[in-house]
Amino acid sequence: MIEKTQLIHNKLGLHARAAAKLSHLANLFTSDIYLIYNEDKVNAKSLLGILTLAASVGNEIILQASGGDEQEAITAIGDLFDRKFDEES
Amino acid sequence: MIRIKGKAVSPGIAMGRAQLYNFEKEVIRAENIGEKSVEKEIWRLENAVKKSRAQLKKINLGLQKIMGKDAAFIIETQYLLLKDSHLLDEIRGTIQNKLVKAEWAIKQVEKKYLEIFHTIPDLSFKAKSNDISDVLNRLIANLKKGGPAAAAQQPGQVILVADDITPSEAATLMSNKRLLGLVLNKGGETSHTVILARTLGIPAILDTVNATDSIFSGDTLALDSVSSEVIVQPTPAVAEEITEKIEKFRQYKEQLKNLSQLPELTRDLHQFHLYANIELPFESEIVQSYGAKGIGLFRTEFLYLDSKMSISEEEQYLIYKNIAKNIFPHPLVIRTYDLGRDKSDPQAPRREENPSLGMMAVRLFLKDREPFKIQIKAIMRANSSGNIRILFPMITEIEEIRAIKEIMAEAKKELQRAGTFPKKDVKAGIMLEIPAAVRLIRHLGHDIDFFSVGSNDLIQYLLAVDRNNSDVSYLFSPYHPAFIHILKEIRTEVDRIGKEVTICGEMAGQPVPALMLLGMGFTNFSMNAMAIAEIKRVFTQIHYARLRKVVGHLDRFSSRTEIEAFLNTELLKLYPELLQRSQGSV
Repeated sequence: MIEKTQLIHNKLGLHARAAAKLSHLANLFTSDIYLIYNEDKVNAKSLLGILTLAASVGNEIILQASGGDEQEAITAIGDLFDRKFDEES
Repeated sequence: MIRIKGKAVSPGIAMGRAQLYNFEKEVIRAENIGEKSVEKEIWRLENAVKKSRAQLKKINLGLQKIMGKDAAFIIETQYLLLKDSHLLDEIRGTIQNKLVKAEWAIKQVEKKYLEIFHTIPDLSFKAKSNDISDVLNRLIANLKKGGPAAAAQQPGQVILVADDITPSEAATLMSNKRLLGLVLNKGGETSHTVILARTLGIPAILDTVNATDSIFSGDTLALDSVSSEVIVQPTPAVAEEITEKIEKFRQYKEQLKNLSQLPELTRDLHQFHLYANIELPFESEIVQSYGAKGIGLFRTEFLYLDSKMSISEEEQYLIYKNIAKNIFPHPLVIRTYDLGRDKSDPQAPRREENPSLGMMAVRLFLKDREPFKIQIKAIMRANSSGNIRILFPMITEIEEIRAIKEIMAEAKKELQRAGTFPKKDVKAGIMLEIPAAVRLIRHLGHDIDFFSVGSNDLIQYLLAVDRNNSDVSYLFSPYHPAFIHILKEIRTEVDRIGKEVTICGEMAGQPVPALMLLGMGFTNFSMNAMAIAEIKRVFTQIHYARLRKVVGHLDRFSSRTEIEAFLNTELLKLYPELLQRSQGSV
């Protein structure tokens, strides 16, 4: 299992579109992937789960993955956050 | 027979059978099942999911046909939610562990998430709870044998009566051709439902408060947008009257269609130009069929608010480019975000004591420049066809124009660096809405290319009157002598510096005020697309020279009532048939 602390850069945080992109990406990996924020832990493959976090810009969340492709998963998801979900230019 | 008053938001007259929709919400009870039935319940759930996905896909396709790609945002979240395997696992788990029917399991899951979402302070997350309820209720409806008992599946044409309907319901109901009319208890003039109804020419009466109490499914209903009422079980005599009106309205629409082909000339060959105001991108595909020779005002607030402020340069660029292409070679004037005041901006920083004298439009953006600059960049970038112009609202003083010019220069530089700046510079204009700007036309005109008069706001700020306040709204009049004076000043001053001006408030789409403007020498008018044909009919039947003479006498009067009476009398003398109240105008 590996973990990474990730800062949310995009202005709107994990709103519907960003959450959809995130869960879509997470579903491409076989590892179990979780987001941990404010003592809540949700499955990163669940759109609704991510939405309930209501995590917004400036917050830090923890990405956690365990499984065969955990390293790739964390890298790809971290990259999506860093690209601000491709929603700002 | 009873008559119910409402607000006509989409013109037309219709008569048909009433269909109550979605009114009696079914009560779902906890029903325990044996372990043997678990498999069956899960099978039912999976079937309902399949059906729901197919329905949402179909709705999306139907929407795309009438609205283009922009349709997606209406039901995107719902579709994504149904694809979320974890949501479905949770429902499945509830069925298995609690031994309940699928309906109850869905309700439990809905309840759980609604509770979570209601504790979230951020409004844009809260709004999502509507999507969750909408999609889960669709699932429940699909658990029934017949699927959702939507009016869409009733035979024959109906007039739909409901408390309110969701955008996805509106889209399904309207994109199949069976809907004759729409009656809603609730209101909302700018909702997607209303925009769809107008686009498709479906008469709609909203704000009836309690129509669902007095109408039963199967009742005969007549819907009349001219009188803004719904007639329940009309007597034979009234029904006959309505039938005649429907036929007249049909002929009238036919006649207007033909009008859209005529050249924009008065009888004495004086040229005028009619443009459309639009709010949603898809409208650009249809305004030309109403006779618009361009878009005089594209209000962009909805892009900003619908996207919850996250719309990127790229997304905007594609939207603007597409509209410009639809309307080419005619012009497209894009007004930058006019936020603040009553525009229900969730981003609004705090309650202001005097919102219409406070932070709005350009004032907001000179404080927080980023979203403004992104919009300007997107507009500049989209102008490869050369027919785009940019318009800045709520200008009070020259410093604002200087600041805007600075931002435009930065935006241009950034685009050039990125290699995405088209060769053509975009022309920039300002709105004349604040009387101070009118007095400064000759100074402001140095730095800008054109003007646009927002007559509603200009009247409001000139006369210090809120037209939505029924105690003072009588003062809100385009015939107020002070307003006429300011209109003349605009015409003279703009001519002096050799620039163009377009009138784009409500009065541009009302026959008598528009004739007055034409007589004053204004030639560019931008209005709701529905009004264009009527204005064209009136303008093509008059003589500019005669009109000019009539308007020349207005200086003699010192009161708005005298001016209004004089104009009406003189027009009636010159053209007795011209202004008989046209059928079907809202």
